[in-house]
Amino acid sequence: MVRTVERLALRVLAACDATGNRLYGWRFNPLYQSGTIVVALYLTIVATGLWLILFYRVGSPWESIASLTANLWIGNWVRGLHRYASDAAVVATAVHAFRMFAQGRSWGPRALAWVSGGVLLFLLLLCGWTGYVMVWDTFGEYLARESARLLDALPILSEPTSRAFTGERPVPSVFFFVTLFAHIGLPLGMGVVFWLHIKRLERPVLLPPRPIAWGTMGLLAGVAIAHPLVMAPKANAFVLPAEIPVDVFFAFWLPLVRAVPGGVALSGLVLAAAVLLVLPALTARRGTARPAPSTVDEEICTGCRQCSLDCPYGAIQMIERTSRRSMEVARVDSTLCVSCGICAGSCAPMGVGPPGRSGREQVAGVQAFLAAPERRPGAVVAICCAHGAVAHRSALAAAEAVVYPIDCAGNLHTSVIEMLLRGGVGGVLVFACPPRDCLNREGPRWLVERMYHEREAELQARVDRARVRVVHVNAGEQHEAVSALQRFALDLSALAAPAVDRAAAVDAVCEASTTGVHS
Amino acid sequence: MTPIGRAVGVVAALVAPIGIGWASTLRTTPNDSASAVLRLAWTARPERIENCRAQSDDELAKIPAHMRQAVVCEGTTAAYRLEVRRDSSLLVDQIVRGGGVRHDRPLYVSRDIALPSGEAMVSVRFTRIDSVEPPATASAKIAHREQDEKDGERHPAVMDPDRRRHEDEERVRLRGEIAPAILSLEQRFRFVPRQVILVTYDSDRRELVARAGAAR
Repeated sequence: MVRTVERLALRVLAACDATGNRLYGWRFNPLYQSGTIVVALYLTIVATGLWLILFYRVGSPWESIASLTANLWIGNWVRGLHRYASDAAVVATAVHAFRMFAQGRSWGPRALAWVSGGVLLFLLLLCGWTGYVMVWDTFGEYLARESARLLDALPILSEPTSRAFTGERPVPSVFFFVTLFAHIGLPLGMGVVFWLHIKRLERPVLLPPRPIAWGTMGLLAGVAIAHPLVMAPKANAFVLPAEIPVDVFFAFWLPLVRAVPGGVALSGLVLAAAVLLVLPALTARRGTARPAPSTVDEEICTGCRQCSLDCPYGAIQMIERTSRRSMEVARVDSTLCVSCGICAGSCAPMGVGPPGRSGREQVAGVQAFLAAPERRPGAVVAICCAHGAVAHRSALAAAEAVVYPIDCAGNLHTSVIEMLLRGGVGGVLVFACPPRDCLNREGPRWLVERMYHEREAELQARVDRARVRVVHVNAGEQHEAVSALQRFALDLSALAAPAVDRAAAVDAVCEASTTGVHS
Repeated sequence: MTPIGRAVGVVAALVAPIGIGWASTLRTTPNDSASAVLRLAWTARPERIENCRAQSDDELAKIPAHMRQAVVCEGTTAAYRLEVRRDSSLLVDQIVRGGGVRHDRPLYVSRDIALPSGEAMVSVRFTRIDSVEPPATASAKIAHREQDEKDGERHPAVMDPDRRRHEDEERVRLRGEIAPAILSLEQRFRFVPRQVILVTYDSDRRELVARAGAAR
């Protein structure tokens, strides 16, 4: 059931990503930057909030905000930007969570990020709640009254919280003081949870590319200026407002709970939050479906540290070696390893990687591929990431490419490319996912570095680069994939026929070695 | 990218924040525009139904000095019936008990009743339905009498006289906060659409009172 929903979500996501790539290119596709956009929006919210707080008075909340809103130069648009950035943060968070769910990045070692992300979303919504209530207009009162109704369903409260809003007496200033305190304190707490959220990531990218960051803020500021906020009437317990302005991003739950008793509504919301938090247990792969973590062959490991440097999750540490050879040896922490296989592509001597996907097993696989009798000499081999371009397998095959699937582009050992070319294929076209779309975070990045920038384990200089190309396409970009293949085939047609040279040995020397003895 | 694709991209980039601005300021009509609301909201301390007894010197000596009570009471609180009528038709008939899991906290009435606009005679009755006077008061009085008789004999080391006096004062204060056995309000109101008329308990006057705000 969950897996079916995941697959469906992935198809929707791929289609949306493909549309985003067509409109903005993969470098500036905002859908790939949902998480970093939230951070940029958070900074915008904090900056504008610091300004707005200067004008807020707990003794006269509505009046102080009304006065600020009436000032078009220094008040209204700043408040508008503060509000719209908060709304956009909810949207971006939802998109980010959807991506993680659809791509199956919510369980195992990633469960901490998922759960902390759920807590961050809750804190964001709570922060928005305090922000609206502290204005104490009709919407703020409506939010407060409905929330109090839900809270009062708890049997532990001796005195119902909704009593504060019935009109028996004025809402005390201390309520607004506490709300203001929470509105300031919650974002600070979010900072701590955010640290947990990215704790297991190496080299986390915190901010989007500048055009996206400034573009997002500029557009929201533009809307804030073009569509100035209008102050809702002051809350009055003795008058039912005819109309209430409602922010659907922070009050999406209000229409759902209005018609049901407080206890039922509260139970429903708690259940929804619980499902969100226990999702890692529901989406977790078990048994044979769970990919095994990487292992290290200590006899082969030269202690060069490259796998440790490349691991996107900090799952590989270098420890002191007790036996002969190098001073250090890689050790995989299986509780952190997501089995991305990027270490397999980083290890020149092919001593590390998940079972079945290490460099040596990739080489064995390509040897079997080259030995296959049905292989057409001179054909283009399309190496396709299993999470992206492999969806275009049929279309690529129809365009006369030989499809060679691989688990992740970052998993690909460059020796595979070299062996394919030496084996007489016309060219190797690697279909990697767009870098920000990589299931394993840094696969395409390291692949490009290894192929074109001599990062270990680099593609050897003797390999003809004219016969190798990397293209970034996702699972929704079939047309782009086929077009890229046709362009590549056209470029190859201008080259001489490929030579077959199976005699040369694969270079298994790690040049980045700092402490080890090369094999 | 084609010029059309670029134009679509720009339009999409504009539509997203405009959509956010629009959805951020949607308007809803949560209230029926033709109705008024009779809001019942008050809190009061319910009558205690309890058995009280004086503690012996031996019992008190076993308790830390700051926790000693000359008279200890165990029991629960009375339930009340809330009845609301509009022009003699019954709108609400509800049993109200004290707050908390053990119902030993103050009771709380909170109810919004939507009513059509126009004039109407409203009757609100809040009556105690548990009989409490004979056993509780009798036992408390006996306990007090016994205690008063003993106090003269008690050594200050067992029960501090100041503490004993404070205990009595506290008991009197709590009794003063207890809601009367019958609270009622009968009044003719003119209900205006979207106006809220609040019926609440005035603890100083020990009666139900009505308050209304100006309709907008």
